[in-house]
Amino acid sequence: MPLVHLQDVRKTYVLGGQEIHALAGVDLSIEEGEFVAIIGPSGSGKSTLMHLLGCLDTPTSGKMEICGHDLSSASSDELSGVRNREIGFVFQSFNLLPRLNVVENVEVPLIYSGMAARERRERAEAVVRRVGLEARMRNRPTQLSGGQCQRVAIARALVNNPRIVFGDEPTGNLDSHTGELILGIFAELHQAGRTVVLVTHDPEIAAVTHRVIEIRDGRVRREYDPRTAPPDAAKIAGH
Amino acid sequence: MNLFISFETGLREILSHKFRSFLSMLGIVLGVASLVATMALTGGMERGMRAFMEQMGGLEMVNIVDKEISSDLLDFWNLSPGRTLQDAHVIKAAAPLVSHVSPQIAFGLSASTADDSLRVRAAGVWPDYLAVAKHEIEAGRFLTDLDVDKGLRTAVIGAAVVDHLWPHWSPQAVIGQTIHLNDTPFTVVGVFKRYERDRDRLARERGTAQAVEERRARRGGRGGGWDPFRTKNEAVAIPLTTMFYEFRSGAFPDDSADTVRLENLSVRVGNLDHFEAALNEMRQALDITHRGVDDFGFDTREDWFDQMEQRMNATRTSGGLIAAIALIVGGIGITNIMLASITERVREIGIRRAVGARARDIFFQIVIESVIIALMGGVLGILVGVGLVQLITLIAPGDNEPLISSFSVLLSVTFAAVAGLVSGIYPALQASRLDPIQALRYE
Ligand SMILES: Nc1ncnc2c1ncn2[C@@H]1O[C@H](COP(=O)(O)OP(=O)(O)OP(=O)(O)O)[C@@H](O)[C@H]1O
Ligand SMILES: [Mg+2]
Repeated sequence: MPLVHLQDVRKTYVLGGQEIHALAGVDLSIEEGEFVAIIGPSGSGKSTLMHLLGCLDTPTSGKMEICGHDLSSASSDELSGVRNREIGFVFQSFNLLPRLNVVENVEVPLIYSGMAARERRERAEAVVRRVGLEARMRNRPTQLSGGQCQRVAIARALVNNPRIVFGDEPTGNLDSHTGELILGIFAELHQAGRTVVLVTHDPEIAAVTHRVIEIRDGRVRREYDPRTAPPDAAKIAGH
Repeated sequence: MNLFISFETGLREILSHKFRSFLSMLGIVLGVASLVATMALTGGMERGMRAFMEQMGGLEMVNIVDKEISSDLLDFWNLSPGRTLQDAHVIKAAAPLVSHVSPQIAFGLSASTADDSLRVRAAGVWPDYLAVAKHEIEAGRFLTDLDVDKGLRTAVIGAAVVDHLWPHWSPQAVIGQTIHLNDTPFTVVGVFKRYERDRDRLARERGTAQAVEERRARRGGRGGGWDPFRTKNEAVAIPLTTMFYEFRSGAFPDDSADTVRLENLSVRVGNLDHFEAALNEMRQALDITHRGVDDFGFDTREDWFDQMEQRMNATRTSGGLIAAIALIVGGIGITNIMLASITERVREIGIRRAVGARARDIFFQIVIESVIIALMGGVLGILVGVGLVQLITLIAPGDNEPLISSFSVLLSVTFAAVAGLVSGIYPALQASRLDPIQALRYE
């Protein structure tokens, strides 16, 4: 049983009477422990797909199963529960709460899983240490660099110990050096056995993963393992 | 997500916008303050009036009064002797539900000592007078059956009479002194307690009575408005028989005190549960002495109490109305601020939804936030209200000290909380209905 299973998933937006098929029938399976990169040109539907995978949005049609939850029939509360416990999501723009400090930001998911205050604090601090920010625990996001912010966001994604971690261009707002550091954290997560799915424009990042899924016009155009077909992959991912 | 977290989150949000939160509280502050002040003032008034009513005999007291008889019965009028001492005897004998009977003849007399004199309205009474008129003895004793039976020249006098005739004497010192009523010497056997309103007692205890008196004198008034206890403090009570034998005028048809027309006939009903039955007993008894002529009636204190309640309710309603309007306006203010604050926080809401907050978590967060604002406003309002009451008593001292009850405080806080709850619902619904992904994209 795959961790993620999509069958003919479509997402259609209607804008001013015009239908936009952001996803035009996606079939996809991801097994536990995989390290996946999703690539494709701008506007091809990568973010739309990620939002569906991250249970932030629901498909217009098609069958979706994530971590054993059938999402085609899930209620809003069920989706919240899946987001809270099974999934960690890292955004390109960090999406931290500006008025909370680092530890408090990391704690937020635990609040909604009903954990007691003390345990919450301990768990959050442990994860912040794991991403190397122990010196910045009481700082607010505005006092941190972009790379530090993204590390806080990763800590928040990991704090509830999710089975799968998604990143929608997590290095997109960072310089290449910091991007490499962040990518390193994702690689470590994969090595520790977690399932990791990243959207990226960067062929070098795609090359690090074990499976590249190329999206074009709302469909999976092709898939390959960059370790066995590196040159071709680089060409395609770089437009 | 438990309430405590929502509370903490809400508090943090409020504190990060201190001035804005304060402004949004103002309506609630005003509403609660006026509620507290109104309830304190009416509460004080009510307590004062109740105390006064109690002093004047309470609900158990009934006055038997003359009544105009209908014109077709005028011929029979002279058949009835009116209210006489006989009525008092009959009621005492035939109306067991009546515990005390107090007949009264009163004359305006001059009361004097060697040094000074004073016009008083002296009352010839029975010993039951003490209980019916709710008098209390400060020193000495009250009149007894012996005084009445023997027609002794004994007198019990009020504190104001002592003040006038024996200035600065203690009540105890006056016992045994001689007081002349129209030149007839009487022995003072007792002194009544001093009856006073809250504010007079306070003035006396704080030692400001002198100043108050002086201010009164400057105004040319005799007292600060109407002193409900004046008559009571100026009382002079002597045995009814003594009054009759010493001071009767030629108007009495014969030498029996029984046919004397009474100035006043009051009784006290033993048990309020049998109030109507007691009235019936008296009516039957009096029908005999009045030879069937319906020329008497019963004046009860219930009507007074009803009137008092009505006045209280009128004050309360107007105060409550102001408070209600202020609370509604305050609630709308909170709704407004919350809506503005939500538009500002769309992204935050999106982020919270993305990491697992359910729609209802967002809903409660917003509702609790507005309840906290309202409660803070409520607490501030109570402080302002208490201050207001203090200010009012300072610049315009009333007859009664305001009464800030824990009930009124509790009620105000509850109203504030409800206002916060209601005003938070709409913004909270808006916030909880935000689509997570759209909220995240919001700039
Ligand atoms: N809320 C929306 N309403 C209407 N159209 C939308 C909406 N969201 C996305 N789209 C459209 O769906 C298509 C796919 O968008 P998506 O954001 O998934 O692209 P993407 O692959 O992530 O692009 P990029 O690499 O630039 O981030 C685009 O044509 C976009 O305009
Ligand atoms: Mg995108």
